[in-house]
Amino acid sequence: MSILAYNGSAVIAMKGKDCVAIASDLRFGIQGQTVSTNFEKIFEMGPHLYIGLPGLTTDTFTVLNKLKFRANMFELKEDRKIAPDVFLSMVSNLLYERRFGPFFVEPIIAGLKPKTFEPFIASMDLLGCPNKPEDFVVAGTASEQLYGMCEALWEPDLSPEDLFETISQALVNACDRDALSGWGASVYIIEKDKVTHRRIKTRMD
Amino acid sequence: MGSERYSFSLTTFSPSGKLVQIEYALAAVAAGAPSIGIRASNGVVLATENKYKSILYEEHTIQKVEMITKHIGMVYSGMGPDYRLLVKRARKMAQQYQLVYGEPIPTAQLVQRVAMVMQEYTQSGGVRPFGVSLLIAGWDGDKPSLFQCDPSGAYFAWKATAMGKNFVTGKTFLEKRYSETLELDDAVHTAILTLKENFEGQMTSDNIEVGVCDDQGFRVLDPTTVKDYLANIP
Amino acid sequence: MAGVLATERTLPGFSFENCKRNSTLLQQGFKPPTAQKTGTTIVGIVYRDGVILGADTRATEGSTVADKNCSKIHFLADNIYCCGAGTAADTEMTTMTIMSQLELHRLNTGRPVRVSTAKQLLKQLLFRYQGHIGAALVVGGVDVTGPLLYSIHPHGSSECLPFTTMGSGSLAAMTVLESSWKPDLTEEEGKVIVRNAIAAGIFNDLGSGSNVDVCIIRKGSVDYIRPFDIANLKGQKQNNYRFRRGTTGVLSTRIIPLVTESEEIKKTEVESMDTSA
Repeated sequence: MSILAYNGSAVIAMKGKDCVAIASDLRFGIQGQTVSTNFEKIFEMGPHLYIGLPGLTTDTFTVLNKLKFRANMFELKEDRKIAPDVFLSMVSNLLYERRFGPFFVEPIIAGLKPKTFEPFIASMDLLGCPNKPEDFVVAGTASEQLYGMCEALWEPDLSPEDLFETISQALVNACDRDALSGWGASVYIIEKDKVTHRRIKTRMD
Repeated sequence: MGSERYSFSLTTFSPSGKLVQIEYALAAVAAGAPSIGIRASNGVVLATENKYKSILYEEHTIQKVEMITKHIGMVYSGMGPDYRLLVKRARKMAQQYQLVYGEPIPTAQLVQRVAMVMQEYTQSGGVRPFGVSLLIAGWDGDKPSLFQCDPSGAYFAWKATAMGKNFVTGKTFLEKRYSETLELDDAVHTAILTLKENFEGQMTSDNIEVGVCDDQGFRVLDPTTVKDYLANIP
Repeated sequence: MAGVLATERTLPGFSFENCKRNSTLLQQGFKPPTAQKTGTTIVGIVYRDGVILGADTRATEGSTVADKNCSKIHFLADNIYCCGAGTAADTEMTTMTIMSQLELHRLNTGRPVRVSTAKQLLKQLLFRYQGHIGAALVVGGVDVTGPLLYSIHPHGSSECLPFTTMGSGSLAAMTVLESSWKPDLTEEEGKVIVRNAIAAGIFNDLGSGSNVDVCIIRKGSVDYIRPFDIANLKGQKQNNYRFRRGTTGVLSTRIIPLVTESEEIKKTEVESMDTSA
């Protein structure tokens, strides 16, 4: 069994028109046993910047704390908010430092660039190799199901409302075919003037 | 420096609260060749005297105006060898920043880091302060910036300034000449004029160095370009 | 002396703090996940006036396509580029590190770097890690000595060749190069050969796919064409699967308003240091 499947997770991010969405399931399990159904895997790193950290939960928190430290130091030193692409670089470096003893997380970053408010999404493998596609990124135990859903559902220039439906349906239906993830889901729609966080209804089995 | 536990820093406070070593370092700067920096509306210029004590020196082999990254350049007044060490450190810091954050280092950040190195040399054991003041010119996305960095580790942002020999008269000259709307071309002209104020002997493209920084990045002007500027000076 | 900076500057080099834990986990049967590989077909050829590099654009994670349009031709210097095959993170980070070192070398020596310098730095780094950094590279560029092409293997061996290929699709690509490369090719001929070699990889090797990227390096100029050829067009969607708004059951909504922070520019009086003392 892969260590990434120890806790189970599904995280996804999509680009829309002047907005981005990032969503995750809410299950926290230890192999077959579900421990919690209220476990957020997406974390706020700035007003327009969110990171999803699916993988081994212990590493999710270690990596999150290390990142928060580095991002806070950056913002204090430079007296400006950290931009998504700079943050990506930072995460990528943190992971690659452990090239020969990696953290078992596959981060996903979603946000809007400062000033231009241009949508930005990116994903990384556990060694920190960045991947910046034009459409969507997925990670976690349900990644293969998510790839399939996204290839079918995603289309360019979705409005925030349509993007919400698309990302939610992609996540919900992918998790239905993954025993290790699901049990509730959390969706963030990031726009220039607001972030909308919704908890959505899913199967609870 | 852990092994020499009892080697105190050279820079120890005097009873009156002064760090005399830093003041001596500033004296070394004030005795060094003059350098000028002017921030124009669309770029920055750095200029310095590069005189040779003997005609036997090979010209243009030793550079004083140096590029740090594509968009930042540096010049100094004071001791050359100390400067070259700082140039090397600055270049490395700029590259490190680029690798970690994936974007070019902001000029203010580079200045802060170079200043931090200079400060460390005023407080560490077994070392002496740097005998140089630096002028750092940079272009950050859409705006120029000009900084000065002193041996103490203090740094300032300038519109225009002079350092080294006769810096007081240089500054007075610049105060009279400077205007907010100055363009880069005129700034180069003004910088050369300021150098000329206290220049001993004939000024040629072989004994001054000029560097400019604008949206195209930093570059050291070649002697023929400098010659063209000199031709326009009375 | 590093104490002042230590909070931000982490120790140089790799950290091995997780190694023991990870190997314990492995003993218990928890396999580490697969890292992203480039799979890859990369080629390089020398032609009359320079070097042409080519690459496919597929990245894989096991048998899943992780990136359909990744860039495998990396910038090393204004006159040197490098194709990478193997572990994606390794090729990316290795080329970035060397790019940095070459830039420092260029600034410190005040002249354009040579291709052999890039090759030497790369192979020394790879040899130091005894093949554990899984990067197979094709380095190409033009310097004072003319056009040069090197291939570097993950263990640090290298060779200088007139045409070369690496990656899982190298066998397919080599068939094209062996049959059509000749000395003194024109740029047009060269581009066609490189395209055909990459296409051979794309269509015959499962680890390679999507588009053809090409980079032409001549004396004094570079053309990085991405994509050079879209070998596989995605079919047009016949219909859309847009869900009616309100399909998803929402349990709770929380809106975080973001008021645009007004930017304030503070002007500080510059305090000049007394240098007269």
